[in-house]
Amino acid sequence: MLVTVRLPPGATIDDARERLGLAEREVDLDYGLVLIDPAEGLYALRVADEAGGRMEGEAGPYADPVIEPYGPVKRSPD
Amino acid sequence: MRVMIQLRPSADVVAAVADPAATATVADVADGLQGVVLDSAFTPVAVPRPMPRPGGDPLSLAHDVSYSLAAADATVLVRGEVADDELSTRLSMLSSQHRNVVGVFADPVIEASPTCGGDAPVGDWHDVERLLDVAKLKEEGLDGEGVALAVLDSGINLAHVERVLGRKATLDAKRSWSPSSVKGRPGEFEVDHGSMCAFDTLIGAPQATLLDLPLLLSRRPGGSALDGLLSDAVAAYAHLRTVIDAQPADTKALVVNNSWGSFSPHWDFPPGHPGNYSDNPAHPFNLIVAALDGAGADVLFAAGNCGRDCPDGRCAFPERPIVGANSHPRVLSVGGVDTRGERVGYSSQGPGRLAVRKPDLCAYTHFAGSQAFGAGSPDSGTSAACPVAAGLVTAVRTAWPASRLSPAQLRSLLCRTADDRSDVGFDNDYGYGVIDAAGVIAALRRKAKRAA
Repeated sequence: MLVTVRLPPGATIDDARERLGLAEREVDLDYGLVLIDPAEGLYALRVADEAGGRMEGEAGPYADPVIEPYGPVKRSPD
Repeated sequence: MRVMIQLRPSADVVAAVADPAATATVADVADGLQGVVLDSAFTPVAVPRPMPRPGGDPLSLAHDVSYSLAAADATVLVRGEVADDELSTRLSMLSSQHRNVVGVFADPVIEASPTCGGDAPVGDWHDVERLLDVAKLKEEGLDGEGVALAVLDSGINLAHVERVLGRKATLDAKRSWSPSSVKGRPGEFEVDHGSMCAFDTLIGAPQATLLDLPLLLSRRPGGSALDGLLSDAVAAYAHLRTVIDAQPADTKALVVNNSWGSFSPHWDFPPGHPGNYSDNPAHPFNLIVAALDGAGADVLFAAGNCGRDCPDGRCAFPERPIVGANSHPRVLSVGGVDTRGERVGYSSQGPGRLAVRKPDLCAYTHFAGSQAFGAGSPDSGTSAACPVAAGLVTAVRTAWPASRLSPAQLRSLLCRTADDRSDVGFDNDYGYGVIDAAGVIAALRRKAKRAA
């Protein structure tokens, strides 16, 4: 799931975790803190479903659906 | 309602109709059929009589039946129109008052079958080059030189693209990007869907600079080799924001090709839920798409392959399959036509979910091009139509950066100049029509003249 948070410029993923009350294990650290809109200071994080379920309001949680090519592919599913 | 009327006139009239050397008119065959406006331009046709073997069923398609065009056996078919509000009355009167009327049948509109998945290529990429007026674009200095063209897909194999194009192409590895789980170097991924898209962008913009963003190679538990998560696209867009923000304000130009989308509501919250993606402009991905457009990038999305005539087997939205960012008001949603200009049957039809008037327009697909799937297989899907349109957009950006023509203005220009395929402007099949490079060039010339 995706969640969002508003933070000041230069914020870190730890700042985001603290603001949202998320444990380190609940956050996809490889994904990191992704800037959605610099003008708004809006960031996104990818979190475990259980953690996403605790969010409220603008924070989310937001769907993270599977996306696929709109055309042929060569390789079969593995 | 248009109808076909089967008649049994006199034997000499039947003989005249059946004789290719003779000419029989509608007036010779049928006259005075009240309530029917007969089509005098339609030459009457002799209908043979089924002649079953003794004991056989004349209407059976399984039994051995011969057919007779002898004057005593055959009947004659004419066509006409009956007013819809008198249909049942007129039909019963025809049978009761005219003994020579054998039957009245519907005459439905028939259309050629549209191109569908699995069909052979319709034309090749040189036809697309011609349809995009690439030679004329080059004369105008619109070849994509120096314009960044991001292909968010399954990765590009640049060597393959160059081999099929027969010339060198440019890829900027430094400004490319991969999800953390994807191994491999920009331009060196396996030949697949992404190479097809890259090839198709270069038809209209041969000198463009490709950026390789293989987000569909991102792995997830239980996923297939070629799918990703929307969160990977969010991260890719965040990277592209740094790319465009690093460009000088007066020459900003970044074209973003997205030949992918969500086929199913299965992984989404339902519409109305605040976390929903398909119908929700407040979803983080829909926000970052709008933000990138606002920063000066041209964002193009394939409309999808869920057209009613022959949808992809993965299509699971029961209606309105152009969803999420593919239907975003601040992107160009691209449907597909073949090189004859006919909509391919799998091209998703509007209305869209975030914006109703989707697709915006159509571009060419289902042609022999990249050979990414073998020499005989077409570049297909709205996956191919989208990069064809992205190529033209990139070509325009060579001389028209976002500071001179905003992404919204360029979308408007493309829609305004599209070759309208209906008589009412926008329609849900073609959008505003088929992309028209000649119209775009003419409009840009007028705009340049006004600005001078």
